[in-house]
Amino acid sequence: MNSHAAGTSNGGSGDAAAGGAARRNTRMPKYSKFTQQELPACKPILTPKWVVSVFFIVGVIFVPIGVVSLLAARDVVEIIDRYDEACVPSNMTENKLAYIQNETISKECIRNLTVTKDMKQPIFVYYELDNFYQNHRRYVKSRNDAQLRDASKANQTSACEPEKTTANGQPIVPCGLIAWSLFNDTYNFTRGNENLTVDKKDISWKSDREHKFGKDVYPSNFQNGALKGGATLNPKIPLSEQEDLIVWMRTAALPTFRKLYGRIYFDLKENDTITVRLNNNYNTYSFGGKKRLVLSTATWLGGKNDFLGFMHIVGGLCIFLAFAFTLLYFSKTKDFSVLAKASVYHYFSLTPYTSGNANPICGFGRKLGDHNYLSWNRHPAGR
Amino acid sequence: MEAVTRLVKIRTSKTTLAIGDGANDVGMLQEADIGVGISGAEGMQAVMASDFAIAQFRFLERLLLVHGHWCYRRIAAMICYFFFKNITFGFTLFWFEAHAMFSAQPAYNDWFISFYSVAFTSLPVIALGVFDKDVSSRVCLEVPSLHQDGVNNVFFSWSRILSWMLNGMCCSIIIYFGSLNAILVQAVRQDGRVAGFDILGVTMYSCVVWTVNCQLALYISYFTWIQHFVIWGSILIWYTFLVIYGLFSPAISATAYHVFVEACAPSPLYWLSTLMIVVTALIPFFVYKISRTLYYPQYHDQVQRANSKNW
Repeated sequence: MNSHAAGTSNGGSGDAAAGGAARRNTRMPKYSKFTQQELPACKPILTPKWVVSVFFIVGVIFVPIGVVSLLAARDVVEIIDRYDEACVPSNMTENKLAYIQNETISKECIRNLTVTKDMKQPIFVYYELDNFYQNHRRYVKSRNDAQLRDASKANQTSACEPEKTTANGQPIVPCGLIAWSLFNDTYNFTRGNENLTVDKKDISWKSDREHKFGKDVYPSNFQNGALKGGATLNPKIPLSEQEDLIVWMRTAALPTFRKLYGRIYFDLKENDTITVRLNNNYNTYSFGGKKRLVLSTATWLGGKNDFLGFMHIVGGLCIFLAFAFTLLYFSKTKDFSVLAKASVYHYFSLTPYTSGNANPICGFGRKLGDHNYLSWNRHPAGR
Repeated sequence: MEAVTRLVKIRTSKTTLAIGDGANDVGMLQEADIGVGISGAEGMQAVMASDFAIAQFRFLERLLLVHGHWCYRRIAAMICYFFFKNITFGFTLFWFEAHAMFSAQPAYNDWFISFYSVAFTSLPVIALGVFDKDVSSRVCLEVPSLHQDGVNNVFFSWSRILSWMLNGMCCSIIIYFGSLNAILVQAVRQDGRVAGFDILGVTMYSCVVWTVNCQLALYISYFTWIQHFVIWGSILIWYTFLVIYGLFSPAISATAYHVFVEACAPSPLYWLSTLMIVVTALIPFFVYKISRTLYYPQYHDQVQRANSKNW
């Protein structure tokens, strides 16, 4: 490593050396601000003023955002109804698994929901599952994107174990566990005599519909095996129009998740009774899962989420800290503002190592040592 | 000479520095922990055997007091910060595993993870390690006792290393649980759509990149155009990468296809929660820094403050 200290154009060198360098042919490298690390810079120092202003600004920004978010969350009306326990007939509550797997028992279930506040259209219908790990690695892997996109790649079923091929080796389209476990409960809504139709178009993301699921890919050999995991698919409808499948295959992040089932374009009034005729087909009993039906409105912020209201707690905390620091600043200011100015003049001398440094005091009353006692300050001879 | 050096080294277990300019000093220079060779009248043998080479004896003062102080501080800070940023990132993955049945499902798209240390957080660390300065060279020469910081191992003590790691853990906890609660389970946009695995990944990752880079901005004390460029540039690179990667066909980009442009960017919830989570994650360090530099200043803090004209 060479020439760490080669460019001593500032600081530390005496007059004789500088004079000598001018006479000799010097090999000093060319001065540049970059190599001498003297680029123009701002050197922020944490002073009480900075602290107070930063906290105050953060508080002033956060509190209104938090309040606005809380108000938006309060505007959202949500009706949640857990139905997996309630929809099991009373004579089979001991053996729910037998109930759900028995195809002869009717799975139709009637639920009544009461609207707690006025709900403006569009009202979103979700199904919420609990304890369903769509984010398990083996599950997430179990799909073949090439097959979903392209009809010619129907034979590509790698990574789809165990739902790759049928017993005679025919490829399953769409293959994999994610598609196989497609949710198959259905919901029908009526209010009195009025049928509230559910619009099931445009519930999936546009990029999925147009680019990930092909317009010419049709389901084949789907749910043909002995073990049925979920819904069957109409083999005449291409995958890009099977929106329930597309929504389901966008895997969720956590074991508790909601997926969009459809939208209702009717206004609901407070105290309306909505009758839901649902088909309780999906087996969540074998793994202790829960099923819920959710009707919700949405605001500019999305659904009902109080968490952003947390922002205004953080903002309030910041304002409180700003006030606390202001109080501390004013109570101590007598000590250091005067002395800090003195220390700036005394701490720095233009010639190095001269004596005459007064007792520099910085900070909130904490003293530094007296530089007059340093050995090189006792004999102020300079260099 | 090397026997003496070895004796001092072994008996006192201290770091030794040897200076020499001639061929007879080569042994001593190699034996010492740090060898400083002077090039000049006695030839280049000492230079070739040394760790540092200078041209004149008087440059030693600057080497030790200025560059020694700067380099010690930079390297210690860089190592601590490196641990911090990787812990912040890595632990979000661990917390996610608790909710994914410990099945080793990564919370982010594979290429996000690959590029973390390469593109989004590498340059700012280099800027910290190469350019950071707490006091100017003049102050370093005028206050030689700053050099004692290195001798007393102030910047690389175990308490410092562990507190940076603790900071990383706290940041990762705030980021993970913040993203979780902000984005899931309800709709994230006005059109009623919910966030899946991909949106959570993008949100968490953005928070990590912002937090880690802003933490660096809070730490360093010397802002040239280079520091601004690399810190804010790294954040910009992340968003640019996200957009460009999302444009590749789904065969390559898988879960990241269009995720930012279509799903995240139009959602106010995404931006507000990023803002909130990043600021909340930085508050603990900021409060610590305030209490440290204003109420319990160490020697170098006081020198740094006296150096500035702001009081």
